[in-house]
Amino acid sequence: MEEDQLEKFVVAYLKKKGFKQAEHAFQEELQQHQSKNNSSSSISTNSITDPDFAKHLLSFPELENVPARYQDGYSKLRSWTYSSLDLYKHELIRVLYPVFIHCFMDLVVKGHIQEARTFFNSFREDHEMMHSRDLQKLEGVLSPSHLEEMEFAHSLRHNKVKIKICQYSYDLLLQYLHKTQLTIMLGIINEHINFQVSPGQPISISDDAEVVTLIGSSQDEATQINQKEIHWGLLEDSLEERLEKSGVLLSDSEKAEGETKEGELDESKKRSVEGGKQGSSTKKLKKDKAASATGKTGRPEANAVITAPRVKPELALPVISTEVEKSILEDLRNRVQLSSVSLPSVNFYTFINTHNGLNCSSISHDGSLVAGGFSDSSLKVWDMAKLGQEAVGSVLQGENDTTSSEHVLGSNGGKRSYTLFQGHSGPVYSATFSPLGDFLLSSSADSTVRLWSTTMNANLVCYKGHNYPVWDVQFSPLGHYFASASHDRTARIWSMDRIQPLRIMAGHLSDVDCVQWHVNCNYIATGSSDKTVRLWDVQSGECVRIFIGHRSMVLSLAMSSDGRYMASGDEDGAIMMWDLSSGRCVTPLMGHTSCVWSLAFSCEGSLLASGSADCTVKLWDVTASTKVPRTEENKSGNTNRLRSLRTLPTKSSPVYALRFSRRNLLFAGGVLSKSV
Amino acid sequence: MSIVPKEAIEVIAQSIGITNLSPEVALALAPDVEYRVREIMQEAIKCMRHSRRTSLTADDVDGALKLRNVEPIYGFTSGDPLRFKRAAGHKDLFYIDDKDVEFKDVIDAPLAKAPLDTSVNTHWLAIEGVQPAIPENASVEALAVPSDGKKSEYSEVLIDLKLPVKHVLSGELRLYFKHITELIVNKSGSVLLKEALVSLATDSGLHPLVPYFTYFIADEVTRNLNDFPLLFALMRVVRSLLRNPHIHIDPYLHQLMPSVITCLVAKRLGNRSSDNHWELRNFTANIVASICKRFGHVYHNLQPRVTRTLLHTFLDPTKALPQHYGAIQGLSALGPSVVRLLILPNLEPYLQLLAPEMIHEEQKNEMKRHKAWRVYGALLFAAGQCMYDRVKMFPGLLSPPTPAILKTNAKVVPTMLKKRKASTDNLMHQPSLKKVATDGKMGVIPMNSMQIDTQGTTGGYSTAAGGSGVGLSSMSRQLPGREVGGRVVKTSTVLSQAWKEDMDAGQMLASLFELFGESVLTFTPKPELSFFL
Repeated sequence: MEEDQLEKFVVAYLKKKGFKQAEHAFQEELQQHQSKNNSSSSISTNSITDPDFAKHLLSFPELENVPARYQDGYSKLRSWTYSSLDLYKHELIRVLYPVFIHCFMDLVVKGHIQEARTFFNSFREDHEMMHSRDLQKLEGVLSPSHLEEMEFAHSLRHNKVKIKICQYSYDLLLQYLHKTQLTIMLGIINEHINFQVSPGQPISISDDAEVVTLIGSSQDEATQINQKEIHWGLLEDSLEERLEKSGVLLSDSEKAEGETKEGELDESKKRSVEGGKQGSSTKKLKKDKAASATGKTGRPEANAVITAPRVKPELALPVISTEVEKSILEDLRNRVQLSSVSLPSVNFYTFINTHNGLNCSSISHDGSLVAGGFSDSSLKVWDMAKLGQEAVGSVLQGENDTTSSEHVLGSNGGKRSYTLFQGHSGPVYSATFSPLGDFLLSSSADSTVRLWSTTMNANLVCYKGHNYPVWDVQFSPLGHYFASASHDRTARIWSMDRIQPLRIMAGHLSDVDCVQWHVNCNYIATGSSDKTVRLWDVQSGECVRIFIGHRSMVLSLAMSSDGRYMASGDEDGAIMMWDLSSGRCVTPLMGHTSCVWSLAFSCEGSLLASGSADCTVKLWDVTASTKVPRTEENKSGNTNRLRSLRTLPTKSSPVYALRFSRRNLLFAGGVLSKSV
Repeated sequence: MSIVPKEAIEVIAQSIGITNLSPEVALALAPDVEYRVREIMQEAIKCMRHSRRTSLTADDVDGALKLRNVEPIYGFTSGDPLRFKRAAGHKDLFYIDDKDVEFKDVIDAPLAKAPLDTSVNTHWLAIEGVQPAIPENASVEALAVPSDGKKSEYSEVLIDLKLPVKHVLSGELRLYFKHITELIVNKSGSVLLKEALVSLATDSGLHPLVPYFTYFIADEVTRNLNDFPLLFALMRVVRSLLRNPHIHIDPYLHQLMPSVITCLVAKRLGNRSSDNHWELRNFTANIVASICKRFGHVYHNLQPRVTRTLLHTFLDPTKALPQHYGAIQGLSALGPSVVRLLILPNLEPYLQLLAPEMIHEEQKNEMKRHKAWRVYGALLFAAGQCMYDRVKMFPGLLSPPTPAILKTNAKVVPTMLKKRKASTDNLMHQPSLKKVATDGKMGVIPMNSMQIDTQGTTGGYSTAAGGSGVGLSSMSRQLPGREVGGRVVKTSTVLSQAWKEDMDAGQMLASLFELFGESVLTFTPKPELSFFL
């Protein structure tokens, strides 16, 4: 290694990088240096010994044509990957996508916009299938400033992608990169990819979904979060449990017991309401939690065949009046047992003449009330019990309207078949009935949530807190509390009697599009445009699970009635079934071809119904895969797919809402759209 | 670089009053504009999803703009699609064609109908998992393709539109068809038509035209029954088409047959006495026979239907003689066995019906007598052919000729008929009459059994004009008092048994000889004839 050669490199490097002053200074110093130490031997001979490094240095002057080198390097890597051994191919292909987007972004950062675009367009097809949404986002990036501005790109630049890869594949890759001197590719891989090298056999193709998905937050964080303990069991002392305990008949003694328990609950609730959220001592609750987690200590139902563990409520729960309780118990007793061989009956509510204005619909638990939220800010509620009498009892309807409050426009109310709720000042995006059907919540683009009474036909409360449109609102399974999801990237927990939110769940990287309560009311799940689903602890407000796997915006969520599973549906029509305790996808359900607007588990959890924009209701068999012994399942994960039992096509009506009644009758709502 | 051209930026700058925008600025702005537009569209897609829609509307874009705290763009929510027009003289400059609307028109216009109010209907989408077949549910076709929803989505549209099947015919073929049809209609009988017929019989590329030709033939035949040359030309076209080895005419036979049968048994073909419709009938009879021969094994009910149609015509005394002639010709063209089966059993009564028409004293009209003789000739020909066939088949069966036959050997037919009539006129022979009736029934039986597989199909071809119910029995009922000497009874019995396979050819010959006289002998093969003589 000649010294002057080295100097030449340095000069060339400085020139190339545009460090003019440094170059000047360097040359001056060099001349001084030479004049001083003319006779002495080179001082820097010992500084560089690695011939490999020298080689890299040598290649620097050639770097003038940077964009071409990116293009060239990537295409070389790509063709090498595609021609590699089948056994390792799928692992190596995973590397391509991060390299691809970082190549693109590097080019943009360096200002080669035109080249970046041609590079992007020439290779985007490879990744179109898996990452079309991301590519759409990135496509528009046309200047370095955009990269700074765009959160998605920003998070990509600042976080490393983690890729699981086996030792051999890793060696292959490195060897190839060194041999062919694809320094740029090597640089990108070093900078942005974090390899998790595992010895032994390559990882099977099946679980690559979660590996490949790029999320903004680092994946380590996600795995860390997913290791938190969660208590997915059912609420102890729920009505179902009581029914199981007592068999078909409720003996008097047990009923009395139940009532006393209710009394306790009532007291505790009062306390909590009086003393604010902190009133219910969290310490005690934690103790309870621990107790229930360790085992059902001396509980009377321990010997019963209840598979799901019981947990204490973390929230003070509302009281159910004995009358209502009776009717619910009656329903539970009359419940139809559904399974893959006995499918439910489906009652379909078709909205007609909506003029493309219906944004959402909701069905009450007993199916008697149907609400529709419209883009003209109105909310309309149909009482199905009155629908039949419409022709005869229009007078009666009019009477109802006149007695209603000023929120109901009574001008021609006599002819109207529905109750009109007006109050919002923007499109209504979501509506939800309280479990008893006496209250209705609606969320709107005007960033408010409103509470309506269906008995008084009046607006009771307007909840302000979100700063942006509220996409979704859901009552808790026992009422009183509700959760909302908004464009402001937060989900909030509210109680009916307070106009301020009780909790704010922040953490999603994009809009929170949907929200759903866990059956035990201790958790809520949120689905977001960042393609993840998160589970939050209501009590602490912390994120306890991140579910990664969707490839597009999550639109709908449902919780199984035993509390163990969650289903989520996305924009592409994919439905994922998650195991809450492990945080892993049990099985993806493919079948829908368009947005899955709605999901619902049957009451005993054996069936999952999904409603989609492709004008079908699909019924899936849950028991087929999930009811295998739990221990095995946790290990093997997705052994068999959920079966699609039945596809029920509607007559050009996208399905907006689904609801299983307590007796397991399925209600579905949709709008007749001729133009589809 | 950016999909937003620099010119667009310049135009927008001009439109908001910035005249001195430098090109560099426009160039720098263009990519940023694209980025912003994309950003807004992504937000708009979010709004669209939350409105539970799959198509983007102007409202969604407005919603997205509001999310970004940008003033929405007003005026785009109206239903009409916007029309962009190219500005004159500019390549990339477009503007929205916004028409001026007269205030008066707006005020004078009647109020639009109030839109129907939203309502909710309810129905059972499924009962215990099974979809009831009610109009509210998607049709079964949609059920058949549940796997790909994309298709079912569009199938709705297809059902509504019901696109017509487009049959593409090349220009050359269209020209060819035009010329041929013109030739047929205008210059039937010309040399050119002969060339055309040859071309029809040999050209290989004519198959696309077959449906058009069949339709043309059917149409022309029904419209021009009195245009003899045209009918003849049409039948020639049929023959040519049948002959063409490159044409699969099978699918069009059902369209073609009625026209052909019409040309065989129609009451009038041509309106002038000079028209030689006999020839046309002969010609058509051959076509029918060739069709039956060629396609009989493919369409097993073809020949039975044809024969039934012809037989009905033959046995209906109300039909005109030319119709009978056509029927006889058609039947005899179908082969001797058909004749034996269907004509011979009815020969005797028919001849009795025919006789008065042929005699000068009875029938004064020369034309009618001529016709009757024609029919007689056809019958004679048919019977003779049949006998020839029999005799040739079973030469050994010839029995020694009975004296009676030898005795009447020299009689000329008309005289024989005259004599027989005279002898039978005053004789009422009840039992024998009955016998004839039963024989007649017997004669019908084989025909019925033959048609057993066509029971379900409706009658003969459409040209088998009414009165088909008239069978033999009715015919014999019309002949009371004309019957019947013992010997004649014997002949008719013999003939009515002609359908039997083992019928004695000699007896048959004898009976035929009874009826036709010696003219029938010309049909017997030479060696046998010498045996007789």
